Amino acid sequence: MIKEKVKTGVPGLDEMLDGGLIPARTYVVSGASGTGKTTLALQFLAEGTKRGERVMYVALDEPPNEVKENMGSYSLDIGRVQVFDATPDIMNYDKTPVRDVSTERKVEYFGDTSTEIRKTSERSPVDMTISTLQEMLKQEMKVRRYTRVVIDSFTSLKYFYIRTSEENTSLISFLRVLSDLGVTCLVTVQLPEIARSDVEAHMARGEIRLHKWIDGRGLMRGVTIEKYRGSSHDHRLRPMKITDEGVVIKSPVPESEEVGAQEAGSVNAALTSSSGPSGSRDQESLPSNKEEHGPPPLEPTQDERAAKSSSGQSELPKPTDARGAEKQ
Amino acid sequence: MTVDANDRVGTGVEGIDKMLSGGLIPARPYVVSGTSGSGKTTFAIQFLQQGVKKGERALLVAVDEPPQEIRENVRALGWDVGKIRILDVHPTAKAYSKRVSLVEVAAQKSVSSLMDTSGAGSKSDALKKASPDLSLQSLQLMLKQELQETKYSRLAIDSLTSIKKLQETMGDTETSIMSLMRFLSETGVTSLIITDLPDPTQLEPEIFICRGEIRLHKRMVASKIDRCVTIEKFRGSAHDTMPRPMSISEKGITVEANKKIPKASLRELQAFTQYVR
Repeated sequence: MIKEKVKTGVPGLDEMLDGGLIPARTYVVSGASGTGKTTLALQFLAEGTKRGERVMYVALDEPPNEVKENMGSYSLDIGRVQVFDATPDIMNYDKTPVRDVSTERKVEYFGDTSTEIRKTSERSPVDMTISTLQEMLKQEMKVRRYTRVVIDSFTSLKYFYIRTSEENTSLISFLRVLSDLGVTCLVTVQLPEIARSDVEAHMARGEIRLHKWIDGRGLMRGVTIEKYRGSSHDHRLRPMKITDEGVVIKSPVPESEEVGAQEAGSVNAALTSSSGPSGSRDQESLPSNKEEHGPPPLEPTQDERAAKSSSGQSELPKPTDARGAEKQ
Repeated sequence: MTVDANDRVGTGVEGIDKMLSGGLIPARPYVVSGTSGSGKTTFAIQFLQQGVKKGERALLVAVDEPPQEIRENVRALGWDVGKIRILDVHPTAKAYSKRVSLVEVAAQKSVSSLMDTSGAGSKSDALKKASPDLSLQSLQLMLKQELQETKYSRLAIDSLTSIKKLQETMGDTETSIMSLMRFLSETGVTSLIITDLPDPTQLEPEIFICRGEIRLHKRMVASKIDRCVTIEKFRGSAHDTMPRPMSISEKGITVEANKKIPKASLRELQAFTQYVR
């Protein structure tokens, strides 16, 4: 261990991470929608404010007023979390507006965030791009010294802020800037129902993946550490719950039960598969290869991906012929 | 700051409201997904009708079907949906002549109530004017014009998938969808956006930006149609995570929120996909 680790605000997760996160690095929190990424990220920030640190939440997909409203159902105190509203404005198609490039968004406390959505300015909607965001963050970091930053979500950044073909290079540049800033950073990544890893997972120093699936017992949640450079960590799936306090991670389940959960798979996926190509949401993301300690294998090429998704996931412990049946 | 149950927007389907712990959170965009014939349009009409019953203004953006067909279909169900306002953006016959610009398009389409919709169909009088292009951009412009004039509390778009398929100017579909949803939120309207079943290997932008997704399932089990509904996502609220049985009758959609889906159909499904024990 090099330095003292950064506590995540979720005791069970710190346990899995052998004490917490290594400071001043960037980590990915990935998962399908509704797995608890935003909640976990805000717990991480609230933990910082509890310790008197300065922390920032960069809102990219949900406007801050909604995040605040949603968090109202938890006992979490996020009032002292600085929030940067980087959600894109409504696009103006009427006429090409004169863009006021100098228009800046300000950072404010969640405690002061309005309950109303920020209205797009009639005169000068801000054209947010990955480079303007990068500059704004650098600027903000010069003014105030932050120790924890959350980017929620990186997926939005990818979809809505990049209009050039250099998608990967600008994303990598952005991640690079984050690590140069010297803050411990969590970036959330939304996964499709059938997960595959992408550029951000390779660039980040670690990946915490959140899972959900349905079996006979109802909705199940779990968490795995997919990758953690420079530290020992728990390789098993641990059950997780979302309670009034936010994300709660429990001790690992006995091996036999875990396998059971995996096989039971997701009713959700089963439901959808009758009408289209599908598979289980958690199928690939569940730790079927949990013995793997090192970084994940190299990113497959487009063709390999296509082949993989149409031929029934070769990584599955039990390859199925369900796909043939589905197509009937 | 918690969202009060009284502030929820009822969907018009009691069982679904129960699954949503009271209803939808106002002024947010939601997705209704499902295969064709799964009941998406019926659900959207019920949602709008519920608003009209409470004296609210409700707008249906009709892309897939021309308004007079929708009217005939719901009439068959015996509903009085005359007060739902409708924006007909169903593509007209193509003229293949000179096209008009987006801005002009916005001015061409107007809102009528479902009652006023002429039975004969509007016979594409746009033929004279040259048919306008339908795109996410032009839709946002049309809605902007309409929503500035009239305050709506509920809106449904039937369907986004069609707009995505029909639009010729591809451009930035992702940013346009983000912008459209942002526009709806800022306007304060609670909206349902109808889409096809999302491809599970892809991350569709509307699915991850929307604040919730209600998925309608339809499949054949023992040579009978078996329907159920799931809440795939619902931000900022507790919700039912189990599939619940659903049926469509002359009363519209009914969902039994306190019933589990039959073991048989669950087993059938699991056998199908082999995630069984």
